[in-house]
Amino acid sequence: MGHQISRRTLFRTASGLAVTGALGSALSACSGGTGAGSTSSDLTMTWWGSDDRHNAYKKALAHFQQENPEIKIRETYSGYEGYFDKFNTNIAGGSAPDLLQMDTALVAQYARKGVLAPIDQYVGKALDLTGFSKTLLAAGTVDGKLYGVPSGIGVNQLTVNRTGLEKLGLKLPDREWTWADLRKISQDVHKKSGGKVHGVDDVGGGALQAFEVFAREHGQTFFSDDGKKVGFTADTLQEWWEYWAEMRRLNACPPPAITSAAHNDLTKNAVVIGKALFTFDIGVYGAGGSITEAQLDFLPTPQGDWSNAREGNYVNGGVLLSATKASKKVADSVKVMTFFAQDETAIKGMQLLRGIPPTEKARDLIASSLTETDKLNMECADYISQRVSKAANALPAPAPPPQGADQIWDLLFQSNLAVAFGKKTIKAQLGEFFDQAAGILGG
Amino acid sequence: MTTAKTDAAVKEQSAPVTPSDQRERDRMRRRLARRRGGGWWPYLFLAPWFIGLFGLTIYPMMDSLYLSFTDFDLLTPAQWVGVDNYDKMFTDDPVFWDSVHATLLYVVVSVPLKLALALGVAMLLNRDLKGIGLYRAAFYLPSLLGGAVAIAIVWRQVFGGDGLFNDFLAWFGIKGQDWISSPDTALYTLILLAVWQFGTPMVIFLAGLKQLPKDVYEAAAIDGASPVTRFFKITLPLLTPIVFFNVVLQIIDAFKTFTPAFVISNGSGGPLNSTMLYSLYLYKKGFTDLQMGYASALAWVLFLVIAGFTAVNFIASRYWVHYDD
Repeated sequence: MGHQISRRTLFRTASGLAVTGALGSALSACSGGTGAGSTSSDLTMTWWGSDDRHNAYKKALAHFQQENPEIKIRETYSGYEGYFDKFNTNIAGGSAPDLLQMDTALVAQYARKGVLAPIDQYVGKALDLTGFSKTLLAAGTVDGKLYGVPSGIGVNQLTVNRTGLEKLGLKLPDREWTWADLRKISQDVHKKSGGKVHGVDDVGGGALQAFEVFAREHGQTFFSDDGKKVGFTADTLQEWWEYWAEMRRLNACPPPAITSAAHNDLTKNAVVIGKALFTFDIGVYGAGGSITEAQLDFLPTPQGDWSNAREGNYVNGGVLLSATKASKKVADSVKVMTFFAQDETAIKGMQLLRGIPPTEKARDLIASSLTETDKLNMECADYISQRVSKAANALPAPAPPPQGADQIWDLLFQSNLAVAFGKKTIKAQLGEFFDQAAGILGG
Repeated sequence: MTTAKTDAAVKEQSAPVTPSDQRERDRMRRRLARRRGGGWWPYLFLAPWFIGLFGLTIYPMMDSLYLSFTDFDLLTPAQWVGVDNYDKMFTDDPVFWDSVHATLLYVVVSVPLKLALALGVAMLLNRDLKGIGLYRAAFYLPSLLGGAVAIAIVWRQVFGGDGLFNDFLAWFGIKGQDWISSPDTALYTLILLAVWQFGTPMVIFLAGLKQLPKDVYEAAAIDGASPVTRFFKITLPLLTPIVFFNVVLQIIDAFKTFTPAFVISNGSGGPLNSTMLYSLYLYKKGFTDLQMGYASALAWVLFLVIAGFTAVNFIASRYWVHYDD
């Protein structure tokens, strides 16, 4: 970038002024606001992630702009916390980004509100999705239309501190393990460590990676198909909470203060602070923290050991890239999506930072350059997705979560905590959970 | 009105009026009116303020009043729902009551403690020591940091499970706990943070103490009044207008507290909604749960509650605030 005032800078300044002027009216008129979209000449793109992911994105985008000099990309990025708060405000204020990283759990909500642009018309033309499986694309499909390109395969795994486990003379459990096995080894960890370390973090309130899988093993879903109710029974939830109450009683999982502190804060995760060796949070391995020196390993979520237990795991789409409806540059955004899906440099630079790459070709491209931990992660994910696709009794991947889903997930977390802190009995909390859930989803 | 009066005055003074006189007088009158500040142009200079008042205060307030009767998710047009939001708030929202409980507890505990500490320290600092200015600055410092995010983050570290506070307790052989993530203590760490930031009321108390007449104290000392008696019989009664001012301001401030609760609980208001201060809940409803209509209704309830508290304060003040006669 030189210091001359180019036409572009001049234009950008002028349009900046225009935006500021429009902002006042947009803010006050937000009740009817449709959003004028970005008036800048740049393509605005935003994402959340760790520093590693930021750098990978920036490097890849620099390469993209070299190859497509007519598209200038303005990047904004942050952590996950507050990311969607800001996005909502931007949408209401008419200054939404053209292209953004979207959460698979939220894509349906935004698509149905008309915030995201459907991109089916570009598929096979500017949008090259060669190698993407149908099940994977389902992660970005809402009511039959495609609203986002999945970045990779996501499955429900546990992260394990293998070094810590070996130090205690314990063996990594077999991948075909059950909830009873999880309890057993967690107890062993507590015993062998002299009570210093618990086994697994308390996920009695863990919605997606834990309880949803458990409910699916019972043949139930988290949300009903129409999204107006929860899809599981009180019996299932009771069984789940009783399992975790037992885990706490046995010191197989840490006390509630540790669980509570880790809420929304990966750096306080029980495995990261050294209070447990197993965690249902796969994000831990990106965050590093105090366990970076330990060798991590990965396990599928445990299976049900009752009769008729079904395969509970499923494959989702990692994160997505989506374009916004108000944007005038959807065509350009789609080019960027294609770039991240197919370009060799982008794939190699991104490694596993947005999940296990979505296509066979991409996985082969990075296979040789992966770190040991990344390799283990990919192997385990591969194992799970193979198992899921072979399982005769697996439920289909869950439907996109309805509006209010995140409130239900939070409610589950708080409910488990209320039981764990001894503020409520399981029976009383069950009643409250279903009452409040009905209020949130129904009204 | 003014013109009518001037006309009458003019008529009284001079009896016969010729047309040219009349024209002359009209001109004079206009000039006078201009000199008195009539005309439109002063408003031009006030315009920025008026634009601010209407554009940034009154209009948004009215808009939010309207939104409070709608279902509005920020992304699609608002739907009129009548008083549903208010109805739901009071009858069908347990988290609302959690937040009311947390906020009232926060206000009722933190404000008196903060004011007592502020007055105490102000009295200590109300003397002519060497370097007293430095002490005053030092005690005021925490308030400068005020609602800063950084301080809230520090607080989270200090009162966390392996934080400084537990290390301190360990010296005395006391085993601490994670104060931030236990539902029984989390709110009190917020209260402590509020009390620690007592600088603003302290400075106001200090200014008030400096106004108190010295001769009264001298007379009291001669009569043998103890320091305690002097405090309760002289200082406190004379200071009541200042106390009143601080009480009103601090209550309003406490009701609006947001940043520390947001930062310390990672935006969750947890554990178990124990730090779900009202403003935080309002923010969550609006920007996280996308229920801007409901959030607007919450905001108006908060506005009315604060107005109510302030009114009660003013009425009660008649009975305990003494002004100089």
